[in-house]
Amino acid sequence: MSGIDTRITSPDAAPVQRNWWVYLILIGVCVLNVLPYLWMVMTGFMDKASAASATPQWIFTPSLEAFELLIHNKGIMKNFMNSLIVSVSSTFFSVTIGMFCAYAIARYDFVGRDDVSFWVLTNRMMPPVAVLIPIFVTFQTLKLLDTLPGLIILYTAMQLPFVVWMLTGYFRDIPRRYEESAMVDGDTWFQAFRKVTLPLMMPSITATAIFVMILSWNEFAFATFLTSTEAKTMPPAIMAYSIGANIEWNVLGAAVVLITAPLILFVLVMQRHLINGLSQGVAKK
Amino acid sequence: MSNAEISHRPPARRRGLAKRFGPSNRRVFPWVLMAPTLIILFAIGIYPFLYALWIAGQNVILSKPFIPRFFVGLYQYQSVIQDPAFWHAFRTTIWFTLQAVFIEFWLGLGLALLFQRKLRGVSVMQLLILIPMILPPLVAALIWRYMFYPGAGLMTYYSSAVTSWFGLGEVPFLSHPAIAFQTLIFVDVWEWTPFMFLMMAAGLASIPRQPYEAAEIDGASSWRVFWTITMPLLRPAILIAVVIRTMDAFRTYELIVIMTRGGPGNATTTLNLYLTKTGLEFFDASKAAAISLIMMMIIIVMSFVFIRVFRSRTEAAE
Repeated sequence: MSGIDTRITSPDAAPVQRNWWVYLILIGVCVLNVLPYLWMVMTGFMDKASAASATPQWIFTPSLEAFELLIHNKGIMKNFMNSLIVSVSSTFFSVTIGMFCAYAIARYDFVGRDDVSFWVLTNRMMPPVAVLIPIFVTFQTLKLLDTLPGLIILYTAMQLPFVVWMLTGYFRDIPRRYEESAMVDGDTWFQAFRKVTLPLMMPSITATAIFVMILSWNEFAFATFLTSTEAKTMPPAIMAYSIGANIEWNVLGAAVVLITAPLILFVLVMQRHLINGLSQGVAKK
Repeated sequence: MSNAEISHRPPARRRGLAKRFGPSNRRVFPWVLMAPTLIILFAIGIYPFLYALWIAGQNVILSKPFIPRFFVGLYQYQSVIQDPAFWHAFRTTIWFTLQAVFIEFWLGLGLALLFQRKLRGVSVMQLLILIPMILPPLVAALIWRYMFYPGAGLMTYYSSAVTSWFGLGEVPFLSHPAIAFQTLIFVDVWEWTPFMFLMMAAGLASIPRQPYEAAEIDGASSWRVFWTITMPLLRPAILIAVVIRTMDAFRTYELIVIMTRGGPGNATTTLNLYLTKTGLEFFDASKAAAISLIMMMIIIVMSFVFIRVFRSRTEAAE
C-alpha cells in the first residue's frame, strides 16, 4: 500500500528533503579543503614581519614585497614561461598521438590487444626515480639535459599511458556504425574519423587534456633532476624557497600563488567540460 | 580540369602501400595507428627498463667510477631482499597505500552520494572541494609543511592551544614516528579524496534510473538499494579510480620528501624513498636498479590481480 502511495503522490507534492545536515557537512568539507591553501595565499601577501609572527595574523596590511622580490630579483617569470611551454606542448603531443592508439585498441580486434593495452599501462607504474638514472645518461649523450624539447619529449611519453587508457574507454562508447555509415557514403577512413568520431569524442578529449595539462604543469621529480637553469620549470624553482633553516613564508606563499593561479583559472573556465567529459566516459557500461 | 583530376590518381606503388598498411587491412592497420605511441613508450619506457636490468646485474656505484665493473648475477636482488630496511619500507608503503586509498574511497563515495540530493550552489561547492586535487602535489606538501611547522604553522598553533589545557606542549606532528606517519596519511587523504569524489560522481551520474524506480516500487530500503544496485553498477568507475589511486599512492614522492624526508628515523621511509636514498644519496646505482625492478614487479602483480578480480566479479554480476 505504501509503495503505491509514494508513486502517486511524489510527482505532485514537492518532496520535502531536510538537507540542512548535508549543507553542514559539505560546507565543513569546503572549508577544510580551501582554508590551508587560502592561508598560504594570504601569507604571500604579507610583509616579512607579519609572516614571521608566531601568532597567526588574520588581519594584516597587504604587501607585494614578496612578489617584487620573486619577479624582479629572482626572475621567476622565466620559470613560469618554461612551465607553460612544456605543459601545453606535451599535452598537445600526448593527446594527438595517444588518441590513435586508443582508437586502435577500442576498435580493432587484433592479436595481442589486451597485452598491448596492459603493457601501455605498465609504463605508468615505473616509479619516476627508477627511470631517472638511465634517462639522465641518455639525455646527457643526446644534449637534451636542461632543454625544453627534452622535457617535452619526456612528459609526452609520461602522459601517453594515461591518455590511452582514458580514451580507450571513451572510444568504446561511441557506436561503430556511425563511422561505418559515413564510410558507406564514400568518406575515407580518416574523413569519417575526423568528421564523425572526433566531434563526438571532443568532451572526453577535452577532459583528458585538462588532466594531462595539470599533471605536466605539476611534475616535480624529473624537472628537479633534468633541469638546472635554462629549462627550469616552476616546481623545482619553488622548491628552492622552502629549504633552509629560516624559511621566508611570505616568499613561499607568493611563489605558491604564481604556480597555482593559472591552474585555478584554467579549471574555473573548464569545470563544465571536466564533469561532462568524465561522465560521458563512464556512461552506458 | 576533370582530366587533370583523373590523372592525379595515386601511382600504383602508393596504392599498394595503402592496401598493405591502410584502413582496409584490419590486421595491420591498428599497429600503424599505435606505432607512434609504442615507439615513444619503447624509447622512454622499455629502454630505461632494459638499462636498469643491465645495471642491476653489475656493481655500479656512481660515486666510485674507478672500481672495476663486473657482472654479479643476482647478487643485487639478493642483497635487497636480505636488507631489513627494504622490508621495513615495504611494510610502510603497503600500510600507507591501504590506509590512504581505503579512507579516500569511502569519503569520496560518501561525498558523491551527498551530491545526489537536490542542493543549491552545487557547482561552487564542487569547485571548492576539488581544490586540493588541482594543486600541484608539491604545493599541497608545502602548504601542510607550513601548517604543521613547529612554531609557525596554523595547526601547531591552534592544536597547542588545546594541548596546553592538558599541560602538554606542541603536538609533534612531524617529529614523532607514529604521529608523522598518520600526518602523512591525513595530508594524502586531504589531497586525493577530491579525485575519488570526482570519479565516483561521474560514475553515479551515468547509472540509469530504471533500476531505482523498480526498487522504489518494490519498497526496498535505501541501504539495500545501495548494496544491490548502486555498488554493482558503479564497479567500472570504482575499478578505474582505485587502480589509478593505488598505483599513485604506492609511489608517493613529493609529499614524503617535503614533509618528513622519510623520517623521523625511517618511520615514513616508503619504497620510493628507500630507492631515492640508495640511488641518489649513496649512489649505489646497481642496488637502486634492483630495488626499482622489484618495486615494479610488485605494482604489476598488484594491479594485474586487481583487474582480474574486478573483471570476473563484474562479469559474474552481469
